[in-house]
Amino acid sequence: MTYEAYQRADYNALSDDAFRSLIRRFLTENHPPELRHPPKRLRWIEVKPWYMILSAAGWLAPNWPRQHGGMGLDPAKQLVIVDEYERFGAARTPDHGIMLLGPLLITYGSEAQKAHFLPKILSGEHIWCQGYSEPNAGSDLASLRTEAVLDGGEWVVNGQKTWTTLATDASWIFCLVRTDKTRKKQEGISFLLIPLNTPGVTVRPIINLELDTEFSEVFFDDVRVPQDNIVGEVNQGWTMAKNLLGFERIFLGSPRLAAAALVKLRRLGVHYGLTGDEGFVAAYTQFRMELEDHEALFSSVADTLKRGGRLGPEVSFLKLNLSDLYQRITQYGLELVAEDGALLKSPNGSSDLAVQTQFLNSRAVSIYGGTTQVQKNILAKAVLDLG
Amino acid sequence: MIPDDVLSSIEMIRDSARGIARQDLGRIRKLRFTLPGFDRSVWAEMCSLGWLALRLPEERGGAGLSLLAYAALAEEAGRALLPEPLIPAILASGLFDGVRHEQHIAGERLVLPAWMDGRDALEPARSLDIRDGRLFAHRIHVPLAAGADDFLVVGASRGALVAADAPGVEVTVHQTQDGGHVADVRFDGAPCQALAVDPRPALAEATLATAAYLLGLMDGALEITLAYLRQRVQFGKTLDQFQVLQHMAVDARLEIQLSRASIGQAALQWDTQGASSAAHAAISRAKARASAAARKVTRDCIQLHGGIGFTDEHDIGLFLRKAMVEAPRFGGPAQHRARFGQLKPIEQEC
Repeated sequence: MTYEAYQRADYNALSDDAFRSLIRRFLTENHPPELRHPPKRLRWIEVKPWYMILSAAGWLAPNWPRQHGGMGLDPAKQLVIVDEYERFGAARTPDHGIMLLGPLLITYGSEAQKAHFLPKILSGEHIWCQGYSEPNAGSDLASLRTEAVLDGGEWVVNGQKTWTTLATDASWIFCLVRTDKTRKKQEGISFLLIPLNTPGVTVRPIINLELDTEFSEVFFDDVRVPQDNIVGEVNQGWTMAKNLLGFERIFLGSPRLAAAALVKLRRLGVHYGLTGDEGFVAAYTQFRMELEDHEALFSSVADTLKRGGRLGPEVSFLKLNLSDLYQRITQYGLELVAEDGALLKSPNGSSDLAVQTQFLNSRAVSIYGGTTQVQKNILAKAVLDLG
Repeated sequence: MIPDDVLSSIEMIRDSARGIARQDLGRIRKLRFTLPGFDRSVWAEMCSLGWLALRLPEERGGAGLSLLAYAALAEEAGRALLPEPLIPAILASGLFDGVRHEQHIAGERLVLPAWMDGRDALEPARSLDIRDGRLFAHRIHVPLAAGADDFLVVGASRGALVAADAPGVEVTVHQTQDGGHVADVRFDGAPCQALAVDPRPALAEATLATAAYLLGLMDGALEITLAYLRQRVQFGKTLDQFQVLQHMAVDARLEIQLSRASIGQAALQWDTQGASSAAHAAISRAKARASAAARKVTRDCIQLHGGIGFTDEHDIGLFLRKAMVEAPRFGGPAQHRARFGQLKPIEQEC
C-alpha cells in the first residue's frame, strides 16, 4: 500500500479492530526488520531510517492535527497505535518534539513559530530534548533556577538542566526558565526554545545506574537566544506546560514493563528448570494474576478515554501500581538466579536472561515522572480529599 | 468495553440496592448473634424487587440481567454489610425449578444451598448418596442455615431438595465472626427430591458476587476511615494532614481500584464468553484479589482509627469481622491462585 493510500484513511472512523489491522499492515510493510525489539532505546543514528519512513508516510505525529501534518488521532486511537507498536516491537524514535513540544506549539505558539518549527520536527531536521529538571529542582520542579534575562532583544540564559534524555542526539532543547524572581515561584517561569549549538551550551552525558548514557546534564553559560524564541506569554511557562499534561500520563502506567519482566521471569524458570517447582510456580502465578489485574485497571482507564471522558488525577494510581509490580518481579528474579545475579552479563551472554539489568532499570520507574511518594501526596489531596 | 445498555441496567440495580441498604448499621448491629441473623421483612422486600431471579432468563421468570449487574448489586450489599443471604439464595435460584423455586424467588420459602463436603474446597468433591428417595450426606459451612426452609444439597453432578424440618435433618449451628452463623448439616435418610445439577457455573457466579461484596465492604470501610481522618485532631492538627496516614489511605484506595477493575473485567468476560476456562480463571483472579485486598484494607482501617478502632462500639470493626467471614467464602487467595495456575499453566515455549 502506498503512503498516500494510508493517508487517505479516516483513522478515527475505523473500528478499533480495523485500525489495528491497518497498523499491523503498515508496520509489516515498512518497519526495518533489523530494528525490531531493540534491547534498549536506540540512538538517533540507529533509528533515523525508521524516523524518516514515518515522516514520509505522515505517521510520525499520531497526536497532531492533520492540518499540521499529524495523523489527527483521537486519544482512544492513540492508545491503539501505541499498543500495536509495542506488540510489534517497533523501535521508539526520539519523540520529545512530537509528544511534548508539538502540542504545546500548536496550542500556544505564534503562527510564525508553528510555521517554522513544526515542519522541521516532521522532517527530522530538528531533534528536540526537554530541559525541565535541575539539580535542585526534581520533584519540586517549580523551584527551578536556570535564569533568562532580556538584554538588547535577546534572552541571556545561565544555569543547568539535568536528566535530559537523549540530549547528545538532540539539536534543540525546550526549557522552563526563570524570568521573574520577584513573583511566586510558579508565576515567574517561561518556556524558551534554545538551539544546542549556541555558544555557551555544554552537554555532558551522565552515566546512569545501568552504566548507560541515556541522560545528560546541559549547562548554559551566557547563552544568547533571540527574544522570539519564547513560546506564549512571558511568565506563563509553568501554566502552559502543566495544561499540556494530558491523557499521555496513562502511558507511564502501561503494563508493558511488568509484562516484559514476567516474560523474562518465565524464561529464567525454564532455563533453571524450575517450572515444576512449587515455590516458583506459586510466585509466577501470583505475579501473572497481578499483571492481569493491572491490565484490567489500565483498560478501565482507557475506556474512560474511549467514552470521550477526560482523565483526572486518579490516572496516577496506574503508575504507582506498575512501578511496584515491575520492581517486585525483577527483585524476585534477582533472588531466583542467586549468585548469577552478581555477574555483569548473564552467563550465556544473552540478554534474555539478564534479570540484573532489568532489576537496575526498574529502580527508575518509581522516580521518573513524579516519584511514588509525590504521586501519593497528590492522590491523597486531589482524589481522597485529605489534608 | 461495557455496552451502554448494560451500563444503564447496572445503574438501575445500584439505585434499587441503595434504597434497601440505606447505610443503616444500627440494624446490622442489632441482628448480630441472633437467629436466624437476618430480617425476614427486609428479605421479603429484596425478593419483591426480583433480586433472586435477576440472573434467570425471562422464560424462567427472571430479569435476564448480566453478571456485571449482579456484581453491582452485591457490591452495594457489601457496602451496607447486609446480613441477608442474598448470594447463597441466588446461587440456589440457578440450580432448580418448579413450585418451590417460584416460592423461593417470591420470598415465601428460603432455599439455601449446602455444597461443601470438605473444608478448603471450591466445589463439591463427591457425588450424592441418594437411595430410594432418601439422602445420606454431610455438609459444612452452610450459611445462615437456621433461616432456611429448604436445603438444596449439591454434589458433583446431582442435587437434592430437602425440607429443613424433614426427618433425618440435623442442623448444628456455629456462630461466625460477623454475628451470623454457618451450620453443619447431616442428612441421615432425609426424604428428598433428586435433581440433575452442574454446580460449577453457579458457584463461579457466587464467587464473583462474593468478590464484589468484598469490594463494597472495603470501599465502605475506607469511606468511614477517610471521614474519621478528616475530623480527628491530634498534635494540634487533623489526622488527614499526616503524610504517613495519607499514603496508607492511598494504598488502600489503590487496592480497591484494582479489585474493581479485576471484578469488572471478569464479569464482562463471563457475560460475553460464557463459562469458558479463561472466564473461570478471571473469576478466580478477581476473588483472590478481592479477598486479599479486603483483608488488608479492613486491617489498615482499624490501624488508621487508632484506639477507637479496637472497640466493638465503633462501626469500623464490623467491616473487619465481615471480611473475616467473606474473604475465605468460595475460596481465598491461595485456593484461587492454585486454580488459576491449573487453568492457565506456565507456557514452556519462550
